[in-house]
Amino acid sequence: MSLLEVRGISMRFGGLTAVDDVSFNVDQGQIFAVIGPNGAGKTTLFNAITGVYEPTEGSVRFRGSPVRREADARLGLRAAIVAVLAGLGAFLGINIQELWMAGIDANYTLNQPFPWGKALQDALGAAREVPFAWGVLPAILGAGVGAGTVVALWQRSRRTPDLIARAGLARTFQNIRLFTDLSLVENVLVGMDSRMSNGFWTDLLHLPAFSRERAWTEREALDLLQFVGLSERAHEAAGSLPYGHRRRLEIARALASKPAVLLLDEPAAGMNPSEVAELMELIRRVRERGVTVILIEHHMKLVMGISDRIVVLQYGKLIGQGTPAEIRADRRCIEAYLGTEGEG
Amino acid sequence: MEWVDFFLQQLITGLSNGMIIALIAIGYTMVYGIIELINFAHGDLFMLGAFLALTLLGMLGLGDWSGASAWAAVVIMLIASAGFCGVLNWSIDRLAYKPLRSASKLSLLVSAIGASFILVNLGLFWGGLPLDVFAGGVAAAAPKDFPALVPNTNLLGEESLVQFTPKDVLVWVVTVPLMIGLTWIVTRTRLGKAMRATAQNPVAARLMGIDTDRVIGATFLIGGALGGFASVIYSLYNNTISFQMGYRAGMDAFTAAVLGGIGSMPGAVTGALVIGLVRSMSDAYLETRWTNTIVFGILVLILIFRPSGLLGSRAKEKV
Amino acid sequence: MGRLPKPILAYFAIMAALPLFMGASGLFYDAFQAIFVFSLVGLGLNVVTGFTGLLNLGMAAFMAIGAYAFAILTSDIYPFQIGFWWGIVATVAIGAMSGFLLGAPTLGLSGDYLAIVTMGFGEITLDVLKNLDAVTKGTQGINPLPRPTFGSWSLDLQQERGWYWLLLGFVLLAVIAVRRLERSRSGRAWFSIREDSLASQCMGIPPKRTKMIAFATGSALAALGGALFAALLSSTGEPASYDFQVSILALCIVIVGGMGSVAGTLVGAVVMVGMNSLVLVKLAEWAGAAGVGNASNVLASPNNWKYLIFGLALILVVRLKPDGLLPPRLEGGAS
Repeated sequence: MSLLEVRGISMRFGGLTAVDDVSFNVDQGQIFAVIGPNGAGKTTLFNAITGVYEPTEGSVRFRGSPVRREADARLGLRAAIVAVLAGLGAFLGINIQELWMAGIDANYTLNQPFPWGKALQDALGAAREVPFAWGVLPAILGAGVGAGTVVALWQRSRRTPDLIARAGLARTFQNIRLFTDLSLVENVLVGMDSRMSNGFWTDLLHLPAFSRERAWTEREALDLLQFVGLSERAHEAAGSLPYGHRRRLEIARALASKPAVLLLDEPAAGMNPSEVAELMELIRRVRERGVTVILIEHHMKLVMGISDRIVVLQYGKLIGQGTPAEIRADRRCIEAYLGTEGEG
Repeated sequence: MEWVDFFLQQLITGLSNGMIIALIAIGYTMVYGIIELINFAHGDLFMLGAFLALTLLGMLGLGDWSGASAWAAVVIMLIASAGFCGVLNWSIDRLAYKPLRSASKLSLLVSAIGASFILVNLGLFWGGLPLDVFAGGVAAAAPKDFPALVPNTNLLGEESLVQFTPKDVLVWVVTVPLMIGLTWIVTRTRLGKAMRATAQNPVAARLMGIDTDRVIGATFLIGGALGGFASVIYSLYNNTISFQMGYRAGMDAFTAAVLGGIGSMPGAVTGALVIGLVRSMSDAYLETRWTNTIVFGILVLILIFRPSGLLGSRAKEKV
Repeated sequence: MGRLPKPILAYFAIMAALPLFMGASGLFYDAFQAIFVFSLVGLGLNVVTGFTGLLNLGMAAFMAIGAYAFAILTSDIYPFQIGFWWGIVATVAIGAMSGFLLGAPTLGLSGDYLAIVTMGFGEITLDVLKNLDAVTKGTQGINPLPRPTFGSWSLDLQQERGWYWLLLGFVLLAVIAVRRLERSRSGRAWFSIREDSLASQCMGIPPKRTKMIAFATGSALAALGGALFAALLSSTGEPASYDFQVSILALCIVIVGGMGSVAGTLVGAVVMVGMNSLVLVKLAEWAGAAGVGNASNVLASPNNWKYLIFGLALILVVRLKPDGLLPPRLEGGAS
């Protein structure tokens, strides 16, 4: 069983078909490349895999199963709770004045003990007198709308990027999306979030778990920065990094979640030959750590140099698949790439 | 049958008010369509137009406000307020928005709120001017009476339960030609084409040689002028103005624009008619005190569930 | 407690010492009590807008909810009467819950539309409070309200210094709380949404839950401000006291002070509220003494300049110093 199975993915935006029925498998421990001319649909494919887009057709399986939220008892419970609260809220919202006046105003005298039992009875009595259209009907409608909304929202967000990231697929972006006002360490710590467990109350009250988690996470973050060679500037703002280093930070951030698969979108863009060589070395070390790497790249030397397997896309269609040697010999792939050999 | 008459009355009131709101809504939708900014100040310059109109009336000092002199005054106010609001809107863009063209959306929005607040305060000060029309300016914050230049006589006859007055006639006589004229400008003139091009793709428009800054300025000018027209009609219809009327009218108009699909002019008009009807129906059949909540509720629901508006299209965007 | 940065420590030291030089009562106290109340609301808005990047133009609603919740639960016109301190605790909880409630529908929105919806919620809340007058007593407001007691000693309304230091104490608590959250996993999650919400999600940060917690925190703080505001006046005042203007005042505080900066919010509150309560009042007094303008002159009342001040503050800051007076140096723990 392959680690990642892409099955018949198509992406359509209005009249534009960006990805057309693409299928391939990626095995554990591979370095897998997706290449193709600009506009071939590579980043769109990545977005479909990582949940940024919902595929128009097709599916993605990770470790044999689709990564998405399944209907379960929790959903049912949530819908039920929301329905009850919404129904009650609708009823109370419309009739609060009458209930309040019957229960509280009618029974309250200053400095006298308040008859809670009687007040409740009076309020319930007033509630019973509410005509159907203003009472039971809105309650039912409210409950229905509440439950319906919970289910509809669940339906619309079954496969979201954060779920997929937490499942073990981490990524970088073509345009480098760093948290520019945060420091390098903080960027990496955000990447590590899926492995953290401190909650709001722990953070607020500085419960014992707070300093424990802070200690190991910061240590690991610094280790990761060292792994990519950025430890000198650990506490500077990410926005102050020169372009060449930003890519490395993005990779460190993606690795922080200890992913099974790392998707790199044009990691060598804008790099000079020595930087590319360093990047190749980095990717190999990442693979040695047990991470499967999928990369989109234009840089042929890089692709041919480290990939185990390559797929070629053109106009959204998969036109070739195989080892670097096979792809190099494939006429269709060469034609698709005429003139772009070695350029970034 | 009384209930039919009652219903018809609400229909008339609702549609007339809706047309006034439509003029303001068009201003919002035009500006949003071209620079994606909610011009918070728009409602408040509508308010200032009304204050200008009242001030003019005071200066003209027409003792006997009826007959031909009344209609002449109406025309003068319409032109003056339209010009004033148009220029004011244009100036606000020049001063507050243009310098921030490349800044973040948040900065722009905050600037718009700031401009709105400044205008509100100007209205407050204006109402405090020691003029007769402002009751000597003693209670600056209080609403001012606007003289009934347009009579309230029922054109359907004194006995009719349904009222259709010269006020309603005024609304339609002014708004419909304006909208026809605007449609003509947008679809038939070079300026209109430039506006549509800039709204769709400002970069491409500039590359085609369109001076987008002038186009944007013209949009503000036209939108503001429409608001100016609306301010006079509103004042004549409701016979009262206040320095806070821009907020409510602005919210109604913005809700209308969003309801119909922001950026679309027919949408703004449709949305405004709907809002006008919702208001009159709610006032009549529910309770007046919940009407504002209902209008805001519509705004919130539309933005959450169908932000492209009732008439807008749901296009999926490529990231 | 410790490890508050120097500007913030200086602020508290100065604020704590000031009353010793300012007599026992007077304009100074009115102004600064208002400054502290609005510092709380500003801190709340700073969490939602400054940290998480969600522009909320309806904070006044949470302030109102806090004021009315506190009043209903503690006033002796109603049977609950749970006392000042429990009232505060309950109000913070209710404020947080209303943050969840009003925040939930906005989770899918961003930018302009989010701002408008929050503005709409502000108006709707106001209308609801106005219209449910059996509960909220409409324009009359709910009064009187209890005073805080420490054992057998209670703080009556005349003890201006006592209230001053009590409010300052709450501000200190709020600052500590917000700073802790800022330099923690919670804070980082919020910042990541502000910086790049797509990247944030792709790192595994759950957007809905994170935003809801931000909303709840912000609204809890604003509600606390509202409750203290009401306690200070011993009345909720009318619902119109919590209108759009108040939401914009909170926005001014955060923007002028510096979005995302706790110290900035504190300074922003001093500037904006101080402008209203001190500078304008003094100007009006001076103008009156100099014979310029009289009671019927619209320019003479400091209240009539509020909108202008807010508007100018926003426009000027956004143009000239968009990061505010005290911009955040570096977010989170690394400073």
